[in-house]
Amino acid sequence: MSSKRLDAKTKSAEDFVFKDHEGFEPLADEELVTAYERLRDEEEAGSHGRRYPNIRRLYGTPFEREKDRRETRAWARKPEAGEMQQWYEMARTKPCTWWLENHLLARHALKGCMACGVCTSLCPAAEFHEDYNPRVIVEAALSDDEARLVELLKSETLWYCGQCGSCKPQCPYDNNLMRLISSLRFLAQLKGYHLCSVRGRQQYAARHLWGGNLWNRACSLYFRNIDPESHPDFGPRHAQYHSEVDQQMTRIGANPDTAGQFGGRKVPPETLEELRRCVAGGGTLALWKQLEEYAIEEARRMGISIEEYYERVRSEG
Amino acid sequence: MASKVCVIGGGVTGMQVAHVLSTLGVPSVLVEKSSELGGHVPRLSRTFAFFNDDGFNDGREFTSALERDLRSTSLPDIHLNTTVTGLTGESPNFCIQLSDGSSVESGAVVVATGFQPFDPSSLKEYGYGVYPNVITALQLEWMLNPRGPTGGKLVRPNDGKEVERLAIVFCVGSRNRRIGAPFCSRICCSYSTKQASTVMERNPGAFVACFYVDVRTYDRGFEEMYTLAQDRGVKYIRGRVSTCKQLPDGTIAVRAENTLINKPFWGEFDLVSLSTGMRPCKDVDQLSHVLGIACGPDGFFLCREWFRHPHDSTRDGVFLAGCANGMKPIRNCMIDGASVAARVAALLQRTAH
Amino acid sequence: MTIPAPPGETMTKEIPANDFFLTPSCVLGAVNPGTEVLVSRIYDLLGLRWSAAGNRPGSQCTCCTGMPSHGDVISMESTLLVVARLWSIAAEMGFENVTTACVTSFAIHCECLEMYEQEPDLTERVDRWLREACGRRLQIPRHVVHASDVVYRYRHTLAQEFMRYRLVEEKTGRPLRIVDHVGCHYAKVFPEKSIGGSEYCDVLTGMIQAWGGDAVDYPERRHCCGMGFRQGIIRPNRGYTMACVLKKLESMNPWKPDAIITNCPGCNVFLDKEQWAIRELSGTAYDIPTLSYSELAGLLLGWDPYDVVGIQAHTVPVEPLLDKIGIPYDRSREWLSH
Repeated sequence: MSSKRLDAKTKSAEDFVFKDHEGFEPLADEELVTAYERLRDEEEAGSHGRRYPNIRRLYGTPFEREKDRRETRAWARKPEAGEMQQWYEMARTKPCTWWLENHLLARHALKGCMACGVCTSLCPAAEFHEDYNPRVIVEAALSDDEARLVELLKSETLWYCGQCGSCKPQCPYDNNLMRLISSLRFLAQLKGYHLCSVRGRQQYAARHLWGGNLWNRACSLYFRNIDPESHPDFGPRHAQYHSEVDQQMTRIGANPDTAGQFGGRKVPPETLEELRRCVAGGGTLALWKQLEEYAIEEARRMGISIEEYYERVRSEG
Repeated sequence: MASKVCVIGGGVTGMQVAHVLSTLGVPSVLVEKSSELGGHVPRLSRTFAFFNDDGFNDGREFTSALERDLRSTSLPDIHLNTTVTGLTGESPNFCIQLSDGSSVESGAVVVATGFQPFDPSSLKEYGYGVYPNVITALQLEWMLNPRGPTGGKLVRPNDGKEVERLAIVFCVGSRNRRIGAPFCSRICCSYSTKQASTVMERNPGAFVACFYVDVRTYDRGFEEMYTLAQDRGVKYIRGRVSTCKQLPDGTIAVRAENTLINKPFWGEFDLVSLSTGMRPCKDVDQLSHVLGIACGPDGFFLCREWFRHPHDSTRDGVFLAGCANGMKPIRNCMIDGASVAARVAALLQRTAH
Repeated sequence: MTIPAPPGETMTKEIPANDFFLTPSCVLGAVNPGTEVLVSRIYDLLGLRWSAAGNRPGSQCTCCTGMPSHGDVISMESTLLVVARLWSIAAEMGFENVTTACVTSFAIHCECLEMYEQEPDLTERVDRWLREACGRRLQIPRHVVHASDVVYRYRHTLAQEFMRYRLVEEKTGRPLRIVDHVGCHYAKVFPEKSIGGSEYCDVLTGMIQAWGGDAVDYPERRHCCGMGFRQGIIRPNRGYTMACVLKKLESMNPWKPDAIITNCPGCNVFLDKEQWAIRELSGTAYDIPTLSYSELAGLLLGWDPYDVVGIQAHTVPVEPLLDKIGIPYDRSREWLSH
């Protein structure tokens, strides 16, 4: 594979990177990352402080996702990837019943159950999805039945929970059902069972949306993510606001793609580095690495590109 | 040597203890903190039905009968509006100080101080104390009593309309680790079933739903009472009620899961009765301290040995009877009272020699 | 009907008076950035000492990872580390008290605190990982509260000393009917850490009452708004969110509320923005202005509705509420490009 040398400071580099979706694949990992970072950190003086004009063209692009893929793999290989990453990689090979006894979130989630149904009666997801029943999920978790747990992890219903916690204040056993579900969902992804459901497959998109924002902008949601195309239900006033979002945000004291401490801010690379090390230190890269591998395999199986796969799981359902 | 027994608590258990002691020729001092005997029973509309649903129709009938028996001899010395303030000495030579200034020399003490119903105001999700049409089981009981505020008619507190749809919520304040009450209060399933059955008997067109977690109608005749309730048309829905919300006209919307068919349930009722669990009597801490006896993890008084000495408290010469020793139905309180009286009488007889 | 005062004592908690480290929110920052900037302005108005960042390039604030955590793309240990880093910045800046702008953050911070209690050796492990990752130490803050707790604490001061307007209809003197929608992650996940518990949470009700309004009770008052993390953000799942919003709107409608007040970013977004889609799909225009508590405070304080409060970011126009209260505005200043 030939590797094109990039000069990220010239206009032609921008065109190369942004216009040609297939143009960057042959690039070596380090070059890709360096090009991205140079473009990201390019500054210009603005009336409200230092501005970073390229972020809006980098976020949520195939280029950024490919860079993230490469970086995840590289970081996951680092020695300082650490104890938790190894733990998750090991835990992936164990039975679900083992996970429930050993995962930090699952360990404290359930203290028993009298099947009283208070959780299901308060759950908004159970209200709107006939086949969703959190009490039954608790029952499966307490059943010690590996086959039932696997079935649950492969199901659509595991993904209906909206993590609102309505089930929590009234459980007579003081269970934390919401976090049991978080724990099961994490396991489903590690083991690849999420691929068996439409909503589970969406996690690949979720990883790049929230994970991508977190990894690259230190904030799970980027203000340009809430664009009218992905949120047509927000109406024309939102579309109008969004068309002038930079000026509107600046006006009220936020920091769209600028240095600062409020919404939309561009964090210094030093902060981003610390954040990334915290994320990696907690073992998350074991998940991201796994999600990537599963997605690539699925895309290959379907005969589509990884980006086509990303678009598909994002809009399915 | 003193041979009197001090009985603390003038509810049905205390009355039974004093009465049976009288039949054995043993004098007693019965100390009751309120102005009348009988405890909670006088306000009950029915007592637990036997096989043929022929319990007393008014708790006061029962307690009046008991009181007549009690006062038929001069052996019990009854102090109303009185509490125990101190205890000195050791068995069988106790000296008990009373709040009326007197003191009693006694050879044994029987604690029959009963229970108090759990106050559901702290479970904000039910709206008790906020929505007029959410009441407790004891309030329902009093409303069903012909001597009660509505002459026995079941009406909505907010507008006086007759109740056609009644929800009875089981396990309010019991079987709940989250609030520090993991125990079962034993009698609520049974009294709730009795209430539901009574309502259907008087108004066969009513819709009465019991929201249960389990139906623990365990004693002799109670399962038959449960069957009778169902024959009369009481609906049993297996699911703990999670919230009660008031609709604009005062009707209460009740939410639970019907766990047997895996479907959330959302129904509207004229009246919701919370079958509250029980707690030890208000004075349990003070009495425990004054009498020098221990309580169990559930807060009720603790017996010394579970099987062979179930009535002995953790202090020699102090005995436990009735609900003070753990919740039980009225009939079992009567049985308990009689057996404690016999135990105490035997003890006094031995020490007299 | 007005929310009744429930029997017994209102569960309360200690809210510090000053010295707050303010952690910013992702959703607020992205959709209603005015809300969190306003919190800082309110802190300034009250003369409080606060900071939302460290002094070095390596100690700026990041997201707490609440959204990825509830969206299942980050491990709990990573969340513990990211939050521990925020706490260490707070300590670096000399603050023992952390206020979060977002309620999900609040629950995440509280969850971390709870884990340290539940797991005996977790403190040592996280401290070691944090040192290895970025040379920082785990320093557990003295207080973690939500920013709305602080405004609650000072609600009377704001009303009596600073606010120029009240939640009252100017022409008639009628107290405005305000629906309070408290974020689930504020009142349900750790009810013992909220003011008033999960059923009769007082944090917003108290503000409404202190500022002259009438807090409306309705059957679905405690129902979740349906944001649902992965449900609201991932488009194919958003039907659930809309259904929850619709359910609440239908339930509150008989009382014709003048506004909805929230303290959660997600609730603020979806209760406001889904009203448009609901009108298109069902034909019913609820048109209930939906604001955050800090936006409302800003308006009552007389701050500029467009330049400072940022009401133009809302889908349901807020101007009718301003008209009722008697707050003047120049509508032509709403948009910047015509």
